Amino acid sequence: MDNGPIIKLENVTKVYHQGKINVTAIDGFSVAVDKGDFTALCGPSGSGKTTILNIVGALDVPTAGRVTLEGNDLADLSRTALSTMRRDRIGFVFQAYNLIPVLTAYENAEFVLALQGMPERERRARVMEMLKEVGLEGLENRRPEELSGGQQQRVAIARAMVTQPAVILADEPTANLDSATAASLLSIMEHLNISHGITFLFSTHDQRVMDRARRIITLRDGKLAGDERKG
Amino acid sequence: MALRNISRKRVRSAITIGSMAFAGFIMLFFAALGQGLLYTMEQNAVGVYLGDIQIHAPGYLGDPDLYTRVPDPNELVAKLKAAGFNATPRLFGFGLAAASGTSAGIWMRGVDLINEPKVTMIDRQVMEGAWLSADKPKNVVIGKKLAHTLGVKLGSEIVVVSQAADGSMANDIYFVRGILKSVGDAIDQGGFLMVDTEFRRLMGVTEGTHEIAVTRVNKDRDLSEAARTVAALAPGMEVKDWRQLQPVLAKMIDVMDTSLLFMLFIAYSAVGMVILNAMLMNVFERIREFGVMKAIGVTPPQVFSLIMAEAMLEAVIANVLALGAGIPVVRHFEKHGIDLSSLSSGASLAGMAFDPIWYCKLTARTLTMPVWFMFVMVLAAVIYPALKAALLKPLEALHHQ
Ligand SMILES: Nc1ncnc2c1ncn2[C@@H]1O[C@H](COP(=O)(O)OP(=O)(O)OP(=O)(O)O)[C@@H](O)[C@H]1O
Ligand SMILES: [Mg+2]
Repeated sequence: MDNGPIIKLENVTKVYHQGKINVTAIDGFSVAVDKGDFTALCGPSGSGKTTILNIVGALDVPTAGRVTLEGNDLADLSRTALSTMRRDRIGFVFQAYNLIPVLTAYENAEFVLALQGMPERERRARVMEMLKEVGLEGLENRRPEELSGGQQQRVAIARAMVTQPAVILADEPTANLDSATAASLLSIMEHLNISHGITFLFSTHDQRVMDRARRIITLRDGKLAGDERKG
Repeated sequence: MALRNISRKRVRSAITIGSMAFAGFIMLFFAALGQGLLYTMEQNAVGVYLGDIQIHAPGYLGDPDLYTRVPDPNELVAKLKAAGFNATPRLFGFGLAAASGTSAGIWMRGVDLINEPKVTMIDRQVMEGAWLSADKPKNVVIGKKLAHTLGVKLGSEIVVVSQAADGSMANDIYFVRGILKSVGDAIDQGGFLMVDTEFRRLMGVTEGTHEIAVTRVNKDRDLSEAARTVAALAPGMEVKDWRQLQPVLAKMIDVMDTSLLFMLFIAYSAVGMVILNAMLMNVFERIREFGVMKAIGVTPPQVFSLIMAEAMLEAVIANVLALGAGIPVVRHFEKHGIDLSSLSSGASLAGMAFDPIWYCKLTARTLTMPVWFMFVMVLAAVIYPALKAALLKPLEALHHQ
């Protein structure tokens, strides 16, 4: 199991019912992501990128097909087990509205560790270290509204990273950022991927972001349209 | 976390807590006003002169005879005091008063100057002049209408004629020391109050007393239970509580109580809406935030308890504020009252004068009812949104606008 792919989708289909119309967002999609991959999900708007990430992150359930994370079939897990898995094994970075507005940068990053019941001291050490790694030293006590978009995304990444998850799922993490900020965010992600061996799966529209991915999976109309590995 | 939510979202929390505190304040004030009205009515009924409970020798109420007396009043008063009551013996006799060519029937009352003020407020009902004084036994206090009938003023002379206990003629001259304000028809028309020792001398009554008026030291003590306790201490005597002595008035107060509860219920419901609305907004505004939490691994029960904890914390703060603002205000109106005399002048209910000043009254019930109601209301209001937020799928919550 340790040697198998960390994420595996087999024949996944997702159909949304919108009133009387059925929208097939994902159509018989299969892919396997290996441990340590730095993978971009690309494709035009509406091609199903967000849907895939939601399904992998157990925020959504597929209509058909099988999803396994670290060898566990998500369909076999209870609600509580899924919560625990999201808490301990997955880090999420959304496009926006990532952070809890009443908490400071530090507290946002610390939140999941507190949920896990980690002792205060250990939490402090880890969070400070991680905030430093994403370049937020000195901004620990700012609240989201007092941070720029790029800084907020870095807090989100720090929060996703501190728990040392198996995989980080990021849905268009750079969409709201200018290109310089996006580039530095990418550098941080690359660095964390290499130094901590964390698997990244992120969706993007942005060609510059795709250029830095080591693997590019392309979607079109919910179907696999390309899978390219670099280096 | 709940604490942080409240302390960091100052504006939102201030609005929520503020509206809840205001609601709590209104509830407290209304409850105290209602209680005050009932209390004032009851005080007017029993506090001015009636007393909570009265003891008479059997048959006295039907035929108030000078010879029908309760034996050993001092001993009985002492026993009653030991049992948590204030009690005062009273002496009554009929006579004729004459002054400046006119005369009128009077109802003489021998007053125990030490105990009577502990039981009733008759000593504080003097409109003109002063209350009785032990060292001026020939000075009397009389009813308002009697003063008018006799045409007397302060300091005027009144000649009193009656039949003493030994059958001899009792007569003497008294001076008007005080005139009472309107306290009830019987006293207004014939009330002739004198010091008890003077009454005994004039009427030749040495033993016993005609009536013992009793009040509860603790006003919250149940009236019928109190009456039973008194009856047990006065075997063979006729013991009646004020509800039995003044059934019409008691009935009126009961009706009042019910309609007040009904009004309170309406006021509380309006307030409940305010709280409900505040709680709903508070949660639905933040659905997206809860979505993020759930996406990163907060379980539904954790979301639920967070929202509940926050609501309860807010309710506690709101209650503290409501009580903090409400108690002084209520206390103020407890002392000063709201003057309604412009609306109704000198109203009289079932032969009892009615005080046109409306006081608040703070009781355990007026305090606990709003607090209790607020918690129930907040709980009821927050359970639905809390459950909804807890059970909502994180995705839906994230996309919630
Ligand atoms: N909750 C939903 N209900 C109905 N249809 C949905 C829902 N979510 C997504 N869809 C549909 O599923 C398809 C795939 O959507 P998805 O959000 O995964 O695309 P995407 O690749 O992330 O697009 P974008 O680049 O615009 O973010 C679209 O046609 C979309 O309209
Ligand atoms: Mg998308």
